Amino acid sequence: MNCRECTEHLYEYLDRELTPAVKEEIRQHLADCPPCGEHFDFERLFLDFLRARCRAHGAPPELKRKILHDLFGE
Amino acid sequence: MSPPRPAETPQPADSVLAEAEKRASFEREALTHLDSLYRVALRLTGNAAEADDLVQETMLKAYRAWHQFEKGSNAKGWLLTILRHAFINEYRRRIRHPETVDLDAIEPFSVFADVQDEDPQGTFFDRIVDDEVLRAIDQLPEQFRETVVLSDVEGLSYDEIARILEVPVGTVKSRLFRARRMLQGKLYNYAVGMGYIKGTPK
Repeated sequence: MNCRECTEHLYEYLDRELTPAVKEEIRQHLADCPPCGEHFDFERLFLDFLRARCRAHGAPPELKRKILHDLFGE
Repeated sequence: MSPPRPAETPQPADSVLAEAEKRASFEREALTHLDSLYRVALRLTGNAAEADDLVQETMLKAYRAWHQFEKGSNAKGWLLTILRHAFINEYRRRIRHPETVDLDAIEPFSVFADVQDEDPQGTFFDRIVDDEVLRAIDQLPEQFRETVVLSDVEGLSYDEIARILEVPVGTVKSRLFRARRMLQGKLYNYAVGMGYIKGTPK
């Protein structure tokens, strides 16, 4: 696998959407190619950052109360 | 309130039981996804009041259709599909205009190429606060925004996203790629503007 092919699978790899065989090829390439390894690390950190920033927020408690009232008259 | 009159309005025991079971299973399998539905609704509508209404409507529709839900299957995906349809049918036209830009013509640039010498770990991202990230997501074209939200905020698989959005998995992949790059670009520009990192805005 070369750098271009490896980068094409970047997000599929990070999202764990690849077959074990392709995943292994990429893992091998990343071990042998420090620039690709750095790039993948950067993208992984970005996705972690994105998740951490967005998942903290949930529904307001008032909304749950309204829904329970709508559904069950409480 | 008048006293109950069991002799005149008898309630068959199994119907009461069935209703109680329906409620229990709905609370257990559907209401537990309230936070997810709200986050997605907020990003789709762009404001809290509309998000509230959209989630309320989704839950009402879902409860009415609960007998159609295949027990044990993916309730989160099922609920998000209902939410998205409700949004498209009733909210989108009112709140936001569908995009007219050609999304395939957007050439995403790689932030990594710009920062790899100075900050290859992307530590400048850590200085960007939640609200700024959410604002950047809200500025994405709708098709990109909903894909990123389902993937990065809600953690759904490509297959689940494809089913909710009713597009092929390949489309999910390409939208996700462009959306994430576009988001990186926006956040990078913001970080440059704030002086968190040296660079040239794109």
